[in-house]
Amino acid sequence: MHKSITLVFLAALNFDLVQASEPLSYNRDIRPILSDKCFACHGFDEKKREAGLRLDTPEGALSDRDGNRAIVPGKPEESLLVERILSSDPNDKMPPPDSHKELSVEEIEKLKAWVLQGAQYQKHWAFEPPVDSPVPPQTTGGRNSIDAFLGKTLGDQGWTLSPETNKTILIRRVAFTLTGLPPTIEQVETFLADESADAYEKMVDRFLQSNHYGEEMARHWLDIARYADTHGLHLDNERQMWAYRDWVVKSFNRNLPFDQFTIEQLAGDLLPNPTLDQLIATGFNRCNVTTSEGGSIDSEFYYRYAVDRTSTMASTWLALTAGCAVCHDHKFDPISAKEFYSMYAFFNASADPAMDGNALLTNPVLKLETEEDKAKLAVYDSQIAQAQKALQEAVAKIVYNDPALANPKPEPSANENVWLDDDYPPGGNVAGSPGHPTQFVTSEQGAPVFSGKRALKRSHDTLSQDVWDNSKVPLAIPTQATLFAYVFIDPANPPKSVMLQYHRSGWLHRAVWGDYDAIAWGTPNTPERVHMGPLPKAGEWVRLEVPAEKVGLNPGDQLTGFATTQQAGTVYWDKVGVVGVSDPANDPQRSFIAWWNGAKGKDTAGLPGDLNAVAKAGPEPKPTDELLSRLRSYYIERICTETKGMLAESISQVDKLRAERDGFYNAIPSTFIYKDNPTPRDSFVMLRGQYNQPGEKVQPDVLAVLPPINKPQDRALNRLDLAKWLVSPRHPLTSRVAVNRFWQQVFGVGLVKSSADFGTQGEVPSHPELLDWLSIHFESSGWDVKALMRTMLTSAAFRQSSRITPEMLERDPENRLLARSPRLRLDAEQIRDNALFVGGLIDLTQGGKGVKPYQPANIWEPVGFAGSNTRFYQQDKGSALYRRSLYTFYKRTAPPPFMVNFDAPNREQSCMRRERSNTPLQALQLLNDVQHVEAARGLAQRALSEGLEQPSDRIAFLFKTVLARSPNQTEAQVLAEQLAKHLERYQANPQDAQQLIQQGETKPASTFPVQELAAYTLLASTILNMDETLNRN
Amino acid sequence: MNDIFDLQMRLNRRNFFGSNGLRFGGLTAGLLATQLPFAKAIANENATQVHPPLAGYPHFQPKAKSIIYLHMNGGPSQIDTWDYKPVLQEYYDKDLPPSVQGGQRLSTMTSGQTRFPVAPSKFKYEQKGACGMWTNVDLFPYLSEVVDDIALVRSVNTNAINHDPACTFVMTGSEIPGKPSIGSWLAYGLGSESNDLPAFVVFTPKFPEDSNGQALFSRMWASGFLPTRLNGVALRGSGDPVLYLPNPSGVSRDDRRLMLDTLQALNRGAQSEFGDPETSTRISQYEMAFRMQSSVPELTNIDSETAETLEMYGPAVRDPGSFAHSALLARKLVERGVRVVQLLHRGWDQHGDLPRQIGNQCKQTDQPIAALLKDLKRRGLLNDTLVVWGGEFGRTVYSQGGLSKDNYGRDHHPRNFCMWMAGGGIKGGISYGETDDFSYNIVKDPVNINDINATILHCMGIDHERFAYKFQGLDQRLTGVEKQRVVTELLA
Repeated sequence: MHKSITLVFLAALNFDLVQASEPLSYNRDIRPILSDKCFACHGFDEKKREAGLRLDTPEGALSDRDGNRAIVPGKPEESLLVERILSSDPNDKMPPPDSHKELSVEEIEKLKAWVLQGAQYQKHWAFEPPVDSPVPPQTTGGRNSIDAFLGKTLGDQGWTLSPETNKTILIRRVAFTLTGLPPTIEQVETFLADESADAYEKMVDRFLQSNHYGEEMARHWLDIARYADTHGLHLDNERQMWAYRDWVVKSFNRNLPFDQFTIEQLAGDLLPNPTLDQLIATGFNRCNVTTSEGGSIDSEFYYRYAVDRTSTMASTWLALTAGCAVCHDHKFDPISAKEFYSMYAFFNASADPAMDGNALLTNPVLKLETEEDKAKLAVYDSQIAQAQKALQEAVAKIVYNDPALANPKPEPSANENVWLDDDYPPGGNVAGSPGHPTQFVTSEQGAPVFSGKRALKRSHDTLSQDVWDNSKVPLAIPTQATLFAYVFIDPANPPKSVMLQYHRSGWLHRAVWGDYDAIAWGTPNTPERVHMGPLPKAGEWVRLEVPAEKVGLNPGDQLTGFATTQQAGTVYWDKVGVVGVSDPANDPQRSFIAWWNGAKGKDTAGLPGDLNAVAKAGPEPKPTDELLSRLRSYYIERICTETKGMLAESISQVDKLRAERDGFYNAIPSTFIYKDNPTPRDSFVMLRGQYNQPGEKVQPDVLAVLPPINKPQDRALNRLDLAKWLVSPRHPLTSRVAVNRFWQQVFGVGLVKSSADFGTQGEVPSHPELLDWLSIHFESSGWDVKALMRTMLTSAAFRQSSRITPEMLERDPENRLLARSPRLRLDAEQIRDNALFVGGLIDLTQGGKGVKPYQPANIWEPVGFAGSNTRFYQQDKGSALYRRSLYTFYKRTAPPPFMVNFDAPNREQSCMRRERSNTPLQALQLLNDVQHVEAARGLAQRALSEGLEQPSDRIAFLFKTVLARSPNQTEAQVLAEQLAKHLERYQANPQDAQQLIQQGETKPASTFPVQELAAYTLLASTILNMDETLNRN
Repeated sequence: MNDIFDLQMRLNRRNFFGSNGLRFGGLTAGLLATQLPFAKAIANENATQVHPPLAGYPHFQPKAKSIIYLHMNGGPSQIDTWDYKPVLQEYYDKDLPPSVQGGQRLSTMTSGQTRFPVAPSKFKYEQKGACGMWTNVDLFPYLSEVVDDIALVRSVNTNAINHDPACTFVMTGSEIPGKPSIGSWLAYGLGSESNDLPAFVVFTPKFPEDSNGQALFSRMWASGFLPTRLNGVALRGSGDPVLYLPNPSGVSRDDRRLMLDTLQALNRGAQSEFGDPETSTRISQYEMAFRMQSSVPELTNIDSETAETLEMYGPAVRDPGSFAHSALLARKLVERGVRVVQLLHRGWDQHGDLPRQIGNQCKQTDQPIAALLKDLKRRGLLNDTLVVWGGEFGRTVYSQGGLSKDNYGRDHHPRNFCMWMAGGGIKGGISYGETDDFSYNIVKDPVNINDINATILHCMGIDHERFAYKFQGLDQRLTGVEKQRVVTELLA
């Protein structure tokens, strides 16, 4: 083993006893030992420090403590540290046996040797600015500076880079790395035909120009940003912020410099006159999980969200695990709890609420209005104004006499109030059962309609309903009231029962027709559940009537909700309301004065502000004539049953236009953005990480160990200062961390393997000079990500063969030296996108709302909260099934199984690095998932429709399409044999063939014999399951 | 196996079901021989353990080889299940004395209530078993027959007052999402003795339709920062028991075999071209997938059980996806050497209408759980199997909403609640920990969630303090950074 690799990251495998003469490096050799075994008690964390001894600084370690010194440079025999680690007395031995930390013989030898060599401390490498080392001389096979650095280390081991691999492997490698998709046959042929010296570079540039580049790059960033389509906690309802995801794609495509990319995400809102895009970018800090669980305490969640945002910022740009300092001073890295909370103070000003309201849009949000949208809204507004004017004129023509002022006062008489006809009344929320939204149907659609233009339709195989509730405008119960509703039961699919429910102070008023117990709500035989009779006759409109007192409702009661409910079946509902007798002079729906008296002292929803004040003040004292006249007009138009009826035509014109405008406006998507409150919340060190245990007050600031931040004279530091500080010249971490992560993306493992941890507990870089060189050049290039990617992809290191020799495997199993190109299993999205792509199914549309592709039943349902709007998975139809995986709707508490199965994170927390596992559950998915079977059939169809007649030509086509190469003789032969056997079997069992090719929503092409298509489907599936297909080779 | 494969396997721990190559010979064969006849087939086929334990694990001779964790999701009322408080009858509808409430944090669902009237349990308690444990005989007619096997802890406490953080805490030892679940930790340290089934299996059985079913979160059985192969695998009650298990229609087992044979030939080609040991692993994973296509249906088929056994679990046992059916499968799983089985039964969140709803919850679970204990015992499996019962927090002694003798609701109460353990390593027939007369404060022997977790690890042969995984620069533990205690008083 004379050539063994002595880099520290391989030391555990290849340790040679250290010679005292061999110089040891504190950062490389000693700190990892001290950090792992000693710093927990003798490190930065003052509170946990034992015996006052500190070993992480030379001052602490070398100081004289009652005549003893832990370390006496050059004299191990006088150093207490050496004495204690060698001690066999359990009372003296360090680390103490009960710490379960034991030094190995090698570690003890190293510590001794280091003390003997003078115990030189070094500052942690990652906190020192990068050093611009000269590029070493180029070595064999090298092409650019990356190769020169790598070649030098390889040379030290007597190794060189491997030879360049072949062109078909190369183009597939480049295509997946830059676009996440395989190359097309045409792209392969173009590249193969190009014999110029820079054919490879030109090919790389073509993929860099592809608009799929941004999608592949975004995928990695979205793991870091913890982007998803649901809130993540408790109900885990949907949230709308996909515009942020699309912003990331677009930013990579237009090669937004990484410093700007950083600033816009952390502080786009604080830029002068921020653009729409810069505001969308701030969604980064809204991607954290949020809750609206009943009973939660606001201050706890304000605290948690700010901690999450702080930790995510620190790991994303600094690769520091600041999270530890939430509870106590960091044991290993120089981050005190106070410093953590000083960073937290930047984020403890956020304007978003503690409770997300389980809403699709939790403020602050940004409406994504285009110029076109604005123009269209302006048209609506002018139409509405016109219709409003016509209505005002009609109102003016009405002669209304308030019965309260008549003499004599009129006698009580019947009066009908319709609550629901073509629409629900204003002021309340409308909700259908989860997964089955409220639906209005018209006679043009062939539906029965009793009155007006449309009726409610509801069809379900279980309990289901439409609910209108939480109304700000309550509905009054008159005297002698009879509640009514019209119902039409589909004779082909009758329900077990239908129910009317009313909400006063609770849902405690129910009337049921049909099977009394089919809906087991409310205490039986009380007004909470009254049996009214058998199920109404099907196939015709039936008027249901309920005397109000029978369900416990009395004159004057104010309803804030009602519901039409059914146990299974298909039911139409129309015209819901109440009829009763009222005294015109005292009925708010008949007398203006009566209504005004009723409105006194409260707010009336729907009234403009100044009129609301008038209504609230009551009739005395009299307001100005102008206000009185307007209030009276409002009453005539909107409240009085009789006059409202006379104005129905004009009102419906206004309301229709308003509804259209609202519909249009609401359909314009919005997205979560980040903003500060005008006054930030005070920030404190939270003792032991408890949200309700504030300690010392802190101001926004950065870590002392890093370069100082420029502090403005006239104001506190804000997020924009923080973002600019991160990307300031020669910041020791930001550029290194970014470069390292892009390296990890390209080469599988970062130069610092622990890409999320550059602290003292992280791993040291395998090639420190290369990391620094890349980081300095990245910065000086203007943070040009495409240029960086190009540099890495055009290196000989990237272009070399991935073939592993037994010697490489033995001496460098993790491939940290890159004597070969890494061979990486494709990521979850790449695997699915590849199948869709070669199967000819893929829809390459970019952006927009998350889509719901095939998913096995019962992924969401078994975990979903009853009231969650993501409880039921509603699979999409048509081309939405075949969108790129990046656009799949991501529910955090039950993420898409095709993603999780291949190591995608659940996006609850920031994730810097995915694993690459290799499991039988993956095999089952790739063999049996309908998506993959359908893609295999698609691929088979392509092979059959290319005009190729011979099985061997078709097999060659399949191979080229999937692997960019032709099959070798053995491969062609085993596949041909397999094909023949499948054909034989399906000839004998055509019904099985028929079943196989029916998988998926797309229809199989009818131009091919089913037996042949089925046999080729299995052949295509075999090729899609090949190890070579599943890897970037 | 060639040398390359061997070496890489030693380095590679990422392969769920990945054949290991190290564990030939005595130890493994011995473990397998102690299992069922079923295990012999595997032993003959391939004398390697596909989910090997970590080197040095277990730390000491374990009392339990497997664990069945019954999580009653939503926060079962301790007052109406296991914490018998006869004195409360005198306090019916009287306000909870402020000295008892002690200004403790309340959830905002009841912090606005003007009164906190005490709601005594309406259920009947009797002393049962040789141990004389006070048992709710209305709700637990079956469990009351097996209390001599149960170690009841009445003084469990948690930090969280809401479902999401509390569930995350009880299952991962931390309230913040992102940590591994206890099942993943156990699978990580101990591997599994089953070669045909996942090491960690999860059930989310059906629950009463009109109950207040809180959400579950996949993080409750996820691997967190541990390798993703350690995720709990959901055995599903409806649809395919394991995702993507059956062949597509029109594809027979012979078709699949033929296809896999070609695939293997092609992959051997890739192996010699690239020399990548992952290729060999992939070949064996495809073979394992093929075997699972028969071993899993064999598992979920309960036709081979005797009528007497089925009757024991109750009529719902024939309904796939029911709690009873899942409980029976849990027994079959531990019989086959699966390390961790978790049943998460929803609907225990009774803010109102508690007596009726908790009755429905118990109707679904009481008989199957008692049957599971008896069934394990008579097969000699209870000695090797740790059974844990509990929720994420308890409920308040005062009523939330309206109160009558027969009807009341209860809000969340994290300060004390009950859990019990039985089986491997546990002393049966004991009650540990005490609360005050109002079941509102612990007065003796408090037990934190992570003490429970430490105790579970101990029964499984693991010292929780030494059980660490390096992540984000820290030695991360299931039981956290604070000092935790194995509750030795519960141990046999």
